[in-house]
Amino acid sequence: MRVTGTMFYYYFVCHRKLWCFINNISLEDESENVLLGKLLDENSYGREDKQILIDETVNIDFIKDWKILHEIRKSKSIEEASLWQVKYYIYFLQQRGIPIEKGIIDYPKIRQRKDVYLEERDLDKIKEIIEDINYIAEQKKSPVVIESKICKSCAYYEFCYI
Amino acid sequence: MKGLKFGGDMYVVLIYDIEVDDNGAKASRNIFKICKKYLTHVQKSVFEGDITPALLQQLKLELNKHIRENRDSVIIFKSREERWMQKEFWGKEDDKTSNFF
Amino acid sequence: MSESFYLFSDGELKRKDNVLRMTAPDGNFKDIKVNMTRDIYLFGEVSLNTKTLNYAGQLSLPIHIFNYYGFYTGSFYPKETNVSGNLLVEQVNHYTNEEQRLIIAKEFIEAASYNILRNLRYYNERERDLESSISEIKGLRNEIKRTSDIHSLMGVEGSIRKVYYNCWTSIINQEVDFEKRVKRPPDNMVNTLISFVNSLVYTSCLTEIYVTQLNPTISYLHSPGERRFSLSLDISEIFKPLISDRIIFSVLNRNMITEKDFERDSNYYYLKDGGRKKVLKEYDECLNRTIKHKELGRNVSYRHLIRLECYKLIKHLIGDKKYEGFKIWW
Repeated sequence: MRVTGTMFYYYFVCHRKLWCFINNISLEDESENVLLGKLLDENSYGREDKQILIDETVNIDFIKDWKILHEIRKSKSIEEASLWQVKYYIYFLQQRGIPIEKGIIDYPKIRQRKDVYLEERDLDKIKEIIEDINYIAEQKKSPVVIESKICKSCAYYEFCYI
Repeated sequence: MKGLKFGGDMYVVLIYDIEVDDNGAKASRNIFKICKKYLTHVQKSVFEGDITPALLQQLKLELNKHIRENRDSVIIFKSREERWMQKEFWGKEDDKTSNFF
Repeated sequence: MSESFYLFSDGELKRKDNVLRMTAPDGNFKDIKVNMTRDIYLFGEVSLNTKTLNYAGQLSLPIHIFNYYGFYTGSFYPKETNVSGNLLVEQVNHYTNEEQRLIIAKEFIEAASYNILRNLRYYNERERDLESSISEIKGLRNEIKRTSDIHSLMGVEGSIRKVYYNCWTSIINQEVDFEKRVKRPPDNMVNTLISFVNSLVYTSCLTEIYVTQLNPTISYLHSPGERRFSLSLDISEIFKPLISDRIIFSVLNRNMITEKDFERDSNYYYLKDGGRKKVLKEYDECLNRTIKHKELGRNVSYRHLIRLECYKLIKHLIGDKKYEGFKIWW
């Protein structure tokens, strides 16, 4: 299975969400929050080359001169997930011979940005996560509900808690 | 785009005023067409209807491409629910917002 | 949030710029705000072309069509955008395995009959003596667990309905000649109303199923060949007592609908246009009514309860949580 950026992100958010997503039980289309996020993506950076789909696997907000890649986020919630998603993008592109130097996570709403570098010690962790994602994908049953405070604003809230 | 959840729904009245100049007709036409996708056209430059915050945001972004700063204006009146807004018809009563036709 | 549009007028439904426009023969028109629309109902004699359908398909908008007499004839069901191969496999597995099929089918009847009982209790507390019917249905409900195949389950369901329908003349204040349920075609006021409102519930279930990954043609209580979208029949079963039956009692007991709203044709006993509109207004209002959901802790509309039922079914099918049918809890 091709591991996409979204999968990497969900891996840090919730394994159940990841499993549902991989199994095409997707509820994103229905969510206000997802729509707001999408609108943010589409409108934050004028007409710079945004949203590039590479190798039909990772969808990157935009790349400057093929050296720096940007990812746009609505808020800092679940920052670790965004961080690793960007690290994965850098890894993915480096694997394909594109020497990305760093990634930048933009938070246009709070006018902040964060630099992300892929470090030597991250490589093993990324490989481990890829394996883990594949393992979760192969499970017949969905992982349990995480019962976290982030659930309330998740597109899957009703699905999980009904 | 349908049946969106979360985030309180609301009822809005949208009115616009487009300056009549060389490009006015075109701006007016575009704004009209966009509003029609989201709200019910009730009078010349007045729309109303239920909407969610995200869709209102989407409408705003779509309109922003056509609204000319310092010339045109769009005003939105927001209310929590339709029934909290008292509506009266003076003159011809026309139930344009009905879902029955 | 999004809305259903009910079009009674004859005329033409066409794409106009970026909306769908219904134009009546006299030139009056109604624009359907496409970003806010969930589904469209057509009751008049409407012409539309493939351009209209392509646009509706692109917008994922189902269109439900009724004939001159107000009988449901079918739906334009746009191409599915939400599909899950694994879920489909599970849906089929649960159908082909008799035992698993029966588990789901029983749950539908459990829930439906519970909701029926709730209706009867309500009227029993309001000076109708329904005590004996209530205990009879309770007895029949005990048999649900014991049935060992779909056929006998359907038998129990039929008996419950029979007892239930027998109470209707006591529940309904108007003088009605309702003895038994007659379907094709309905032969009196009550039967016509049941057919009409049930078909509405069916279409609403279909619209909700459409937005989920469930395949509407694979069902458990009804056999998949019974109607094209038989899963919709299954799910409607649960909601008919809450939605259809209560609307029917209410419009009749408030004398909102009377014999005057019907017309008899050589073969049909049908609701006239005016009556149809009144019932649909009630229906639309009913589905938009909200209730605080005890598990989710948020307000949900009656219509959304149907969607939640689809979620529960999906969870059952993927082995996540055993399905329990919706039971009126308030």
